[in-house]
Amino acid sequence: MKVVATYNIKGGVGKTSAAVNLAALAAQDGLRTLLWDLDPQGAASYLFRVRPKVKGGGGKLVRGRSDVADLLRGTDVEGLDLLPADFSYRHMDLALDAAGKPTRRLRKVIAPLADDYDLAMLDCPPSISLVSESVFDAADTLLVPLIPSTLTVRTFTQLGDFVAGEVDRRPQIVAFFSMVDGRKRLHRDVVATLPATNPHELVHSAIPAATEVELMGVQRAPVVVSAPHSRAARAYRSLWDEVRPRLGL
Amino acid sequence: MPLDVPTVSYALPEGVDPPGLLAYLDKRFPVIAEPGVSRSYTVLDTADRRLRAAGVDLDLETGRGGPRLVLREAGGRAPLVAEVRRPRRNRYLLRDVPAGPVRERLAPIVEMRALLPLANVQVGAQLVRVLNADDKTVARVSLATPVALVGGGDAGALQLTPRVVVTGVLGYPKPLGRVTAAVRRGPKGGLVDAPASVADEAIAAIGGDPEGIRTKVLVDLRPDQRTDRSAVAVLCDLAGMVEANLPGTLADLDTEFLHDLRVAVRRSRSVLRELKGAFPPEPLGTQRDALRWIQAVTGPTRDLDVQLLDWDHLVSGIPVERHAALAPVRALLVRHRAAAFRALRRELRGPANRQAWDGYRAFLAGDLGPTRDRPDAKRPIVAVAGRRIRKVYRRMLVMGAAIDLASPAEQLHELRKRGKELRYLLELFGGMWPRAVVKPMVRSLKELQDMLGVHQDRQVQATYLRGLAGELAISTGGPAALLALGVLVDRLDAEQREARDAFAARFAAFAAADQQALVAKVFS
Repeated sequence: MKVVATYNIKGGVGKTSAAVNLAALAAQDGLRTLLWDLDPQGAASYLFRVRPKVKGGGGKLVRGRSDVADLLRGTDVEGLDLLPADFSYRHMDLALDAAGKPTRRLRKVIAPLADDYDLAMLDCPPSISLVSESVFDAADTLLVPLIPSTLTVRTFTQLGDFVAGEVDRRPQIVAFFSMVDGRKRLHRDVVATLPATNPHELVHSAIPAATEVELMGVQRAPVVVSAPHSRAARAYRSLWDEVRPRLGL
Repeated sequence: MPLDVPTVSYALPEGVDPPGLLAYLDKRFPVIAEPGVSRSYTVLDTADRRLRAAGVDLDLETGRGGPRLVLREAGGRAPLVAEVRRPRRNRYLLRDVPAGPVRERLAPIVEMRALLPLANVQVGAQLVRVLNADDKTVARVSLATPVALVGGGDAGALQLTPRVVVTGVLGYPKPLGRVTAAVRRGPKGGLVDAPASVADEAIAAIGGDPEGIRTKVLVDLRPDQRTDRSAVAVLCDLAGMVEANLPGTLADLDTEFLHDLRVAVRRSRSVLRELKGAFPPEPLGTQRDALRWIQAVTGPTRDLDVQLLDWDHLVSGIPVERHAALAPVRALLVRHRAAAFRALRRELRGPANRQAWDGYRAFLAGDLGPTRDRPDAKRPIVAVAGRRIRKVYRRMLVMGAAIDLASPAEQLHELRKRGKELRYLLELFGGMWPRAVVKPMVRSLKELQDMLGVHQDRQVQATYLRGLAGELAISTGGPAALLALGVLVDRLDAEQREARDAFAARFAAFAAADQQALVAKVFS
């Protein structure tokens, strides 16, 4: 099972949209896929119409006292199962801190599912915290959405430095531009220049700022399912086709 | 598999059509009917139905995106999918399946066997999703009307049982229970369980055997049955296996057709030898010669198959930097194997074999003649087979006890040959004795035979590889290949020694005092 985490220190950059759409595409491609909604806001769970509730809460889960298989929910996308969010995840830092070896806890939670899934996608909350460190330890790949702006680029650099300097089990970093608005000059400039400085980490596919993506909250389905021929869906397909080989899948 | 969700399948009884059942569901649950879909696929499995035995369905679908394998398992999990090329020679070997989940799942089941097209199926399906209060799918109902296509569809289609399949969604057991109960009650008095899988029904509909080619003899023997009739019944079953494996052998679909053909011939020879007192001496000698000839003309190909099947294992044990140098050795083995197979095919397709086989079949079907020169003919099979089991076992005890570290390899090989006789006697006739006695005996015998098999195979392989030296020396890359060949032969010698070292312990278990006492008591 390959573990991929959609991650960015900043919020509102398209992490959840990427996680649900790429997970749906993986399942459509025949990969047995798990999506873990780690964000206490529970947006991914909401999109799949699954109640954001985990029996026993996040504390019991990270302490290894819950049977993770009992908490899974099948989604409307065949082949894609969800480990839902829970509001208690807002205290996950504390729960991890209270447990032994906190940075290894998330990896341990999904370890029993290794033979049941080909891909586990972790949709992470924004921040850099103990949860993030545990995500870095669990993940083979960090998939980082970047809004093409100066500040986003700066946080991407910070992330690279942090992973290189602080993380024992270093995941590969794969970044892509997200919410790209071709009408904005800054977006155009950053999209044109950043790949030259990060040629290995940044893929070519970019996700446009599109109404269909915003409408996912109304449709309550990934755009690759509700509007598979839309520009946004095609962009996610292109991103998935480019990312998949890098994941070894 | 903890993540399985139940799947239940019912046959639609006559008078109930899919639209009728759909309307019935619509009245009871919030449902969404997806657009109807039609799916055509080819059922793939090995000739001996290994996938079926493992609970796996493998379909070859050919769509606009090209052919793809779709693997489904019981438990309602989403299927695994792999894009493939068009099959070469109407088969897929494991190496034709791209690396990934499908191949990983298939590998331990299929091993060296080819995946063959067994039936072509077309299914019209209506998928219905059952929703909960959040409009979330909590169960799936599929209404399917399958047909088996005859001659790829050109010669018509045969209607199979229409069925309804209810599949749960992980984490939603209660709605599944409600939907299943409603479907089971069904319109017009309820549904009945589906008779068989669609694949099995389709294979049977076009005249195939859903069980596939057997390797196990299925003859119902009564202990008091005459030995000659019992033997002929077993031999007829074995002859059927030879015939079933012959086309696949001649088409060279995979190595196991030849292997299974040879096993069936060897078992037949064993029956003729061990129960020779049930047959008239002269036709018996001719038929034994005919079967021995088949073994002889197929032997070289099988020996080279074993070399090539073991290749990855053997090469894995020598330094990686030598692997490239071994390429000419493997290429030479492949070339020799191709030549051996051409000779095999020529012989098995030739008039001599046809005539000999027809003669053998006539011998089994005909009158065996008066019993005065067939002393065991009328005796109960339980007595004759029991006597042979006891005698062969005792003979093995004597032979094994005489083997020490200085004994030549031939002595172990002779013991192995006897062991095969005993094993066949137990496999073919052991059903007449208590399972609790036969099973442990077969187990300890098998452990001994496995060790003797490795010992002999490594001996044959090392001898053969040494014999390649002359040819290799004059080929491109010859000198490097010769050096690497030396390492490979050393490895074979080492494995042979390891097997030899295990002999004493394996033989001691086989010859344990309690087992000896049990054999003497039970088979007397």
